[in-house]
Amino acid sequence: MPRRDSGARRKAVRSDHGPRTTDHGPLGGCHERPDARAKVAGSTRYVADLALPGMLHAAAAVSPTAAARLVALDTAAARAVAGVVAVLTAADIPGANLVGVIFPDQPLLVADRVRMVGDRLAVVAARSPEAAWRAAALVEATLEPLPAVHDPVAALAAGAARVHDGGNLVKAFRVARGDTRRARADVVVEAVYHVGGQEHAYLEPQGCLAIPEGRTRITIVASCQCPFYVQQAVARVLGLPLAAVRVEQAPTGGGFGGKEDYPSEPAACAAVLAFATGRPVRFVLPRELDMQGSTKRHAMVIRHRWGASRDGRLRFAEVDTVLDAGAYAGISTVVGERANVSAIGPYHVPNVLVTTRVAYTDNLFGGAFRGFGAPQVTWAAEATIDRLARAVGLDPLEFRRRNVLDDRRRRTCTGQLLPRPVLARACLDRAAELAGWDEFHARERAAGPEREGLGIGLALYGCNLHHGGQHLDRSSAVVIVQADGSVVVRVGLTEIGQGNLTACQTIAAQALGVDPAVVQVWQPDTTTVADSGPTVASRGAHASGMAILDAVRRLRARLDPVAAELLGCRPDQVVLANGRAAIAGEPGRSVEVAAVAAEMAARRIEAAATGWYRSRPRRFDAESGLGAPYESYAVACHVAKVHVDAELGLIRVAEVAAAHDVGRVIHRGALEGQIEGGVVQGVGWGTTERLALERGRLANPSFTDYLIPTAADAPKVTIAVLEGAPSGGPFGAKGIGEPSLIPAAAAVRNAVVAALGVEIDTLPLTPPTVVAALGDAHPFAWVAEEENEDARSAAAPASR
Amino acid sequence: MVDRVTVTLILNGERRRFEVPPGRRLLDLLRDDAGLTGTKEGCGAGECGACTVLLDGVPVTSCLVLAASADGREVVTVEGLGSGALHPFQEALVARGGVQCGFCTPGVAVTGAAALARGATGAERVRLLAGNLCRCTGYAKILAALDDAAEGTTDAPA
Repeated sequence: MPRRDSGARRKAVRSDHGPRTTDHGPLGGCHERPDARAKVAGSTRYVADLALPGMLHAAAAVSPTAAARLVALDTAAARAVAGVVAVLTAADIPGANLVGVIFPDQPLLVADRVRMVGDRLAVVAARSPEAAWRAAALVEATLEPLPAVHDPVAALAAGAARVHDGGNLVKAFRVARGDTRRARADVVVEAVYHVGGQEHAYLEPQGCLAIPEGRTRITIVASCQCPFYVQQAVARVLGLPLAAVRVEQAPTGGGFGGKEDYPSEPAACAAVLAFATGRPVRFVLPRELDMQGSTKRHAMVIRHRWGASRDGRLRFAEVDTVLDAGAYAGISTVVGERANVSAIGPYHVPNVLVTTRVAYTDNLFGGAFRGFGAPQVTWAAEATIDRLARAVGLDPLEFRRRNVLDDRRRRTCTGQLLPRPVLARACLDRAAELAGWDEFHARERAAGPEREGLGIGLALYGCNLHHGGQHLDRSSAVVIVQADGSVVVRVGLTEIGQGNLTACQTIAAQALGVDPAVVQVWQPDTTTVADSGPTVASRGAHASGMAILDAVRRLRARLDPVAAELLGCRPDQVVLANGRAAIAGEPGRSVEVAAVAAEMAARRIEAAATGWYRSRPRRFDAESGLGAPYESYAVACHVAKVHVDAELGLIRVAEVAAAHDVGRVIHRGALEGQIEGGVVQGVGWGTTERLALERGRLANPSFTDYLIPTAADAPKVTIAVLEGAPSGGPFGAKGIGEPSLIPAAAAVRNAVVAALGVEIDTLPLTPPTVVAALGDAHPFAWVAEEENEDARSAAAPASR
Repeated sequence: MVDRVTVTLILNGERRRFEVPPGRRLLDLLRDDAGLTGTKEGCGAGECGACTVLLDGVPVTSCLVLAASADGREVVTVEGLGSGALHPFQEALVARGGVQCGFCTPGVAVTGAAALARGATGAERVRLLAGNLCRCTGYAKILAALDDAAEGTTDAPA
């Protein structure tokens, strides 16, 4: 039987250009961000700024060790602390003791076994935060140590200590195209990359406020990216239907993925305490516990064997990646899924074999982090590309030009055909030009201890959710035109600093032909819009924007006839622009949109509409890794200029040129803000942000010891924006949140390697890592050698 | 041991008296006792700068200041930066889009205002703002806003 939608599926990706308007509108402009004024004045109320009469404060007692059997838990001393109202353990949870997003492998409170440092043993509610945390520290756990495994590769070896009964392999993925074993290459590069994780370091710690209504229903106000995830988690631990759990997103002080899956945990704790005490409970994590217990970017070990012909054409690529999921699966399998198909980058490679395995360890668990597995594999791929360029004696820019996908060769590693135009080459050339690639290489440089280098990072980003998560790829919007002509917009995706309010406001204003200032976009609430999936995968503007356009279309089915009557024309002749409804082709006759709104109100015509979006279905075979994992793609190229002190191993990233394939600009300021912020966060990850894990414990859970870039460290970011490649998004826009970060660390790595002339295969590039990589090439290598000699001779007798 | 101490502040230009436990942090006095929640707690260890306020005109991280030690002194929080309207640096942050999640913004605004008040030049401004961590913006638009405000201040008629 012929499928009805087969014709539609064959078409190239189309974008929604929205309803007809004659004016240029706010699209692509730079009007004032709607949330900026309240934020600079300090009047935006985050969770920690909210208080209710009778409110209690929550705290958690957590495990100090990574792997142990919980033998006994004594809460008597905690209960005795003045001001403590409740101390709850696993047995007190009314519903399921479970917070796993995909796999049911993580308890809210440990019942029998500890698998990571920071696992919660008990939760406390008290009249002050001080009393709550004092009590939490007095919870006495008897823990019997168990064998632990902290290396993800070792975790997958036979005989490794098992983190969960089913073994340590959570899931495996692959992409197999062509035959890498039989492919002929003149040069072959092999390398093993150890890519470290990253702490999100959002400035606002995790927090929420739970407000119970008896034991029948509850409201959660949470700092989060995904209110619908929080809703599901709270409903599960309380044993309530979803409709009895209302989650309102509080203004959220940064997320970067760290507030995707994790906020469900503090929310579930606060909810359980609120139900037990019958009082509102606020739970705000202190920074140290936030860093110690929350998810991280995944550390990965990535093994490469890539080959090229003498003239610099990629012939094959083998990638074997192991992700450190940590103690719980969380959403690691989804991260693995993206890492898997992103492993080759925007290059034409005829023979590909990618294997990606997700391993349990007793480390802190990995979760969502801007880029979602792509930055790590991009870092490795770009390092190998530079190695191959050197091996065949080509300039890294020229080598990339010979292999990058373009309008002729436009199949990704999974065999997906990209729609034209493919802007990979254009991004590469624009970034190189901005960075002054040719001029830099034309100059002679002295080989002193102060070195300079330029490096390229190029990435292909699959927009929105992967095929495996496409059931979540939908979104809801409500648009209400008020009687005075002002407009309320509700969407299901969140503002976390990235500018989703600004994007939604711009899109709604453009579609309705009104000034953005009359459009108010309100934070999501699970009772006002349908489940819209998570605010992740750079899908905010895309998913909420498409739903807004749908809502405006439905609204205009009622608005246009009223406007037509006022104007004396047919409804299909109505155009909305500059705050007025006019007749198409007759700009002289018009009426204010506000007057149309007033007329609708007077006649009691429904001036509200809901909108819906769902991504297009796509075909992907998870077994072979072939097909179309994503609806569309975006290219990003960064070129970094670095200064390296070859004696100290200190890196200063002076400049990053960033060229981005964005489809269409929605709001210029927000777009630049995403790129500038993403680049700096990527540079931090690549250089100073080292997670010092010692037997599963984070030894540096503070901003003094975990170094994120400051104003003095941030490179100058120059930006080139490339529009026009198809996206499927609102007005042709593509997501920018993640592409802005993905290639940055790779560009820095390649610049440092170019400056020093030695390979560095460990991220981050901290001074000790750089000095170690220099080895004999270090200016003072002879000193280290003498010291080692002394140490060896001193240690020798003692060891006998 | 006394369980309450009296702390008198000139808070945002107004004389205010507080009775607080001796160990109370200035940050908590401002947020919980004075109801000025614009000052944020990002780390509680003087590392992130989100809780920056002016103490006798000098930017300090209020999480590291004992409320009692501020007795008799002048404190300006983000709420008191401009007199009635926004401070020129706050206006510049809005105009430049140097605001994303907004959680570091109050501290950034206070430090920036102090930098302007002391006539800090380009490199000094960067150094002063290095004590205020921002994870969203990459700092470019914050620094541009500070430059704008500095020029505006210079150009303003006396």
